[in-house]
Amino acid sequence: MGPFAMMTCHDVSTLVSTGGLHETLLVRRLGVRMHLAMCRHCRAFRRQVETIGRAARAAALAFERELPEDFESKLVQRVRVSLIGGER
Amino acid sequence: MVQLDDTYLGRLRRRDPEALRAVVDEQGRRLYRAARGMGYSKSEAEDLVQDVFVTFIESIERFEGRAQVGTWLFGILHHKSQERRRTVVRDELNDPIDQIFESQFDARGNWIRPPTAPDRHVSAQEAGKAIQDCLEGLSPSQRDVFQLRQVEELSAAEVCKISGHTITHIGVLFHRARMKLRECLEGKGWGRSR
Repeated sequence: MGPFAMMTCHDVSTLVSTGGLHETLLVRRLGVRMHLAMCRHCRAFRRQVETIGRAARAAALAFERELPEDFESKLVQRVRVSLIGGER
Repeated sequence: MVQLDDTYLGRLRRRDPEALRAVVDEQGRRLYRAARGMGYSKSEAEDLVQDVFVTFIESIERFEGRAQVGTWLFGILHHKSQERRRTVVRDELNDPIDQIFESQFDARGNWIRPPTAPDRHVSAQEAGKAIQDCLEGLSPSQRDVFQLRQVEELSAAEVCKISGHTITHIGVLFHRARMKLRECLEGKGWGRSR
């Protein structure tokens, strides 16, 4: 059994959840990939994490839809007024 | 993407309305949704975003053009948000979610209570609604980091610059936020096959 197989479900799920996968060493990334190929529980965990991401992005889109079309124009106007006020 | 080269910086320093409009067009909605995601009401989020742009223009002299405009603006948002919260809530060294997470593994690091893959048929809208309540259960720092890393897709290094936390701490806060949301969504019966 090679070193890749030594990663536990705990190691893999922690790395997935902390978002540290991209910054980790290549050998560990390969270890995670191999583990995920073999372990359906960790694949399910990764899907949970991905679903949380999709849900959060959907919530963010709902927030954006609250804004009127002229949001940017009004914002620029308010910022300019505020800057002029600050100069006095 | 707006590039803050010398010409553009010069226009912003002169408070050129078109230059300001270009930054607002690119980043305004993004900052608003981030402020909402961090827990501010509609009117508070609008005020906060306005405040961010005012500070951005007022402090443009200090901007050296090395950072991305987005990172710079999110840094101001983070700072303003902390000012509004008045007290910096310190995250506990140990959050109860750590124990919940650890209890799901045996001594060899294998799952005791294996996770169930979420239902693929849950719509994004449904999921979005469910997570809004769950976000309330996060600490302010967890919520901020989650918003920046997960929704705005900023790198850990960028969030370090914005928040002043170490890379390791960003990872811990992100992990805790995700695990709390996972528990909350599971508690709502979401994430399980129907």
